[in-house]
Amino acid sequence: MSSLPGSSGAVYDRGYRPYDGPRGQRGAATFALYKASIRRALGLRRTWRQKVAPFVLLAIVTVPAIVNVGIGYVSRNRFDAFEIITYREYVGVSSALLLFVALVAPDVICPDRRQKVLPLMFARPLLGTDYVVAKVGSIATILFAFSFLPQMVLFIGNMLVSDAALDYFSGHLDVLWKVPLSIVVLAVFYAAIGCAVSSLTDRRIVAGASVIGLFLLTSISSGVIVDQTAGPNGGAYGGLLNVLVLPLYLRDVIFLGHIDSESQLAGVAGGGWLALACYLVVLAVASGLLWWRYRWVER
Amino acid sequence: MWVSYDRKLASATLLSRAPDRLGGVSDGPLLRISGLTKTYPGVTALDDLTLDVPPGRIGLVGANGAGKSTLFRILLGLSHPTAGHVEVCGIQVARDPIAVRSRLGYMPEHDCLPLDQTAADVVSTFGELSGLPARAARQRASDVLDLVGLDEARFRPIGGFSTGMRQRAKLAQALVGDPELVLLDEPTAGLDPIGREEMLQLVDRLGSFGISVLMATHLLDDVQAVCDHVVMINAGKLVVSGATNSLLERTGLVTIDVGRHTDELVSGLARAGISAVAVDDVVEATVGDDAQMDAVRDVVAQLGLPLFRLSTRLRSLDEAFVRRSEELA
Amino acid sequence: MSDVLADPALAAGATVEVNAVSVWFGPKVALSELTCSFGPGVSGLLGPNGAGKTTLMRAIAGLTGVNEGTVRVGGRDPRRDRWVHATMALVPEDEAVPGGLSARQLVHYMADLRRVTDRDAPERALRTVDLLDAADRDVGTFSKGMRQRAKIAAALVSDPEVLVLDEPLNGADPVQRLHLIALFKQLGVNGRTVIVSSHVLSEVERLAERVIVLVHGRLAAAGGHRAIRDAMDETPRHVLVRCNDNRRLAGGLVALESVTGVRFEAKRDELTVETLQARELAVALPQLAKSLSIRLIEVRPLDDSLESLFRELVR
Repeated sequence: MSSLPGSSGAVYDRGYRPYDGPRGQRGAATFALYKASIRRALGLRRTWRQKVAPFVLLAIVTVPAIVNVGIGYVSRNRFDAFEIITYREYVGVSSALLLFVALVAPDVICPDRRQKVLPLMFARPLLGTDYVVAKVGSIATILFAFSFLPQMVLFIGNMLVSDAALDYFSGHLDVLWKVPLSIVVLAVFYAAIGCAVSSLTDRRIVAGASVIGLFLLTSISSGVIVDQTAGPNGGAYGGLLNVLVLPLYLRDVIFLGHIDSESQLAGVAGGGWLALACYLVVLAVASGLLWWRYRWVER
Repeated sequence: MWVSYDRKLASATLLSRAPDRLGGVSDGPLLRISGLTKTYPGVTALDDLTLDVPPGRIGLVGANGAGKSTLFRILLGLSHPTAGHVEVCGIQVARDPIAVRSRLGYMPEHDCLPLDQTAADVVSTFGELSGLPARAARQRASDVLDLVGLDEARFRPIGGFSTGMRQRAKLAQALVGDPELVLLDEPTAGLDPIGREEMLQLVDRLGSFGISVLMATHLLDDVQAVCDHVVMINAGKLVVSGATNSLLERTGLVTIDVGRHTDELVSGLARAGISAVAVDDVVEATVGDDAQMDAVRDVVAQLGLPLFRLSTRLRSLDEAFVRRSEELA
Repeated sequence: MSDVLADPALAAGATVEVNAVSVWFGPKVALSELTCSFGPGVSGLLGPNGAGKTTLMRAIAGLTGVNEGTVRVGGRDPRRDRWVHATMALVPEDEAVPGGLSARQLVHYMADLRRVTDRDAPERALRTVDLLDAADRDVGTFSKGMRQRAKIAAALVSDPEVLVLDEPLNGADPVQRLHLIALFKQLGVNGRTVIVSSHVLSEVERLAERVIVLVHGRLAAAGGHRAIRDAMDETPRHVLVRCNDNRRLAGGLVALESVTGVRFEAKRDELTVETLQARELAVALPQLAKSLSIRLIEVRPLDDSLESLFRELVR
């Protein structure tokens, strides 16, 4: 009887399947938050209107690289190594990038607070520090990628356009570590500030405006101060106030070994060390702020 | 006050969880609380609470103060008690809050989901945040959304959801990590009667899947309908903690509804030696034993009166609560 | 009392009259040709979410205009006539209370707004809702239940003739619920027109003498809820029966004319009897039990509650 097809049947209970698989703890949760924040910032898994800003920005930021390569190609037989933009300059050149931080950091930080998602997050194996690390990390990663990609385009383009690609490569080996290092210095800095300022409010527009405002204000005031107090080389301590440009001093140190003669710190004694110290202080303040804002456990 | 069994839903007794579950299930009480006190400047939210709560569906009813939210925060390890110990699923919360949170799901009272993402996306992200690998999280999200009854709507942004749908999405988020205990804060708030019934049915089903539920609510009807165990707190102090059934006390009174013929029935019962009195539109008779119960039936039958309702008067949870609160005061 | 008022949607001695009212917001029709009225006593306003209850309450309070039809409170138009505002109070569900005010300040503010001359009115109102101890705390720190009570106190301070309340028991703990229910009933007894909208039907049952049920902006039912139930003739009634020998009783019940269905639930040891003639069944049941010597333990109509009624209406 039971050899006939269709002579036996069963109904399966679709009720509830418990989960028996691997279960991560804080590390897994932090990483998941990190990934989710990146997705959110780039507009993935959301309407394509949200994708416009990041990708337009990426395009804008890559333009100089393309232009440089293009001109280099066109003029390859006439000039030697034409450069409209150096790698050093290309790190952090763009106010587009600043706008991007002001756009993306609030978007990743503020809605969680505004829509009261935070209680749900902290009801999971996730501590305040984990949350902050994931969020700052996600912004920093994106900033890194958006700064690094154009550099890659520039480097590879230059390599291909030059007379001897391999020579170009071996002649520019230092670029291969200087660029990523200085971009990291930049990305972490702006990400931390962007997130710290955004964590003070739950409105994205206010946060974005505050980020821009902070940078502009310190930039302008340091410019004024430096003008007034400029030493013989054109720089002064006031240059340390310029929060916007602080990581760029470090970039110059990485690329040139010393402060750039055209920057606001030119000629200041121990300028490099001072810049590093201020950089670390700003990072500490930002971290402190974030720690304070995401303290979820009551004593 | 009639006990409305309308809403006592058909539910099997709490099934123990599948024995082959990895990670082991703690035997013994779900919650073990001893001497729990939490004070803020000027306010004592919890005052020397001591109780053991068995697994199952538990109603948490509170009055006068922040006790409920404080208790939830403490259970989640988000707040340190001023004094006392709490053990959840066999784990001391103070010692290992992270491990406790891995076993809990939380459904807050307020709106708490990102409005511009789809339900499927949100629930699966929260699954990952609970520690599940991405693929498993997506799978579980799908299962859980099925369970709470969100079908095509799951691919629409939550911003467009009705209150009922948002509540379900919130519940889904709490379940995606396969918790042992789910904390529900006023799950039926804002729902219309049909939505409320559906939510209560869901809560009921959770119990039958072996997931314990701690449901904080102001509606004793909900508790009566769905919870096996009730914990009542007033101004931070424990009023009572016990099985729901044990709190519905039997009195010696039987309530009889014969429509407009109350007077006839009262005199008929008096003739049969049963003391009865008309109260509002019904008759309340004092019935001592089975023989008297039969006598009631016979009187009604002999008089040819319509027996619309007959029941042993139970004190509802409302009354139990009020009485005990007054005793404490 | 004769059946002069044939339409149960209309109340005797009506203070609030809604006549053929339609309200729409763009393409969404919130109320559709609604005619009903409310008089002294407590009336319940029920319906699923989005049925138009809030719109109706706002129209009665004059906060929303109507596109068609008329709303009259005490014979006057609440949208135009300021007199109405003095005699009516609306306690909406969700509206935020201005922060930074204590409960006492809020109530005093309302008293001033409504030009209440009685000096003791604010304190009385606070006492009525049992907020005297917390009266000086900032309302922003209140729990939901306390905020509701503060709003109710603010509404009561002007001693209104008409009181419209949207989910007033929301967030109230069981003790407060009982107090508030008693309060509203007392107001009704005192001749005020109290209109309460609530989703907790068991409380509306206790509280309101009559109910108005709205579904999709239209009147679905009106009147006392038992009467509404009786008016739903074509639907069969279900009665739950428990006795000491369910199987035998079931056998006997099946033989009765008035019984259209019997369901025996072995697991829970109870019978559910279906009938279209509730009264005939009620008479036959004890007689059948007596003749079979079966002890009746419980007899209960299952669809007598407002909940089952609601379910039927909304289907």
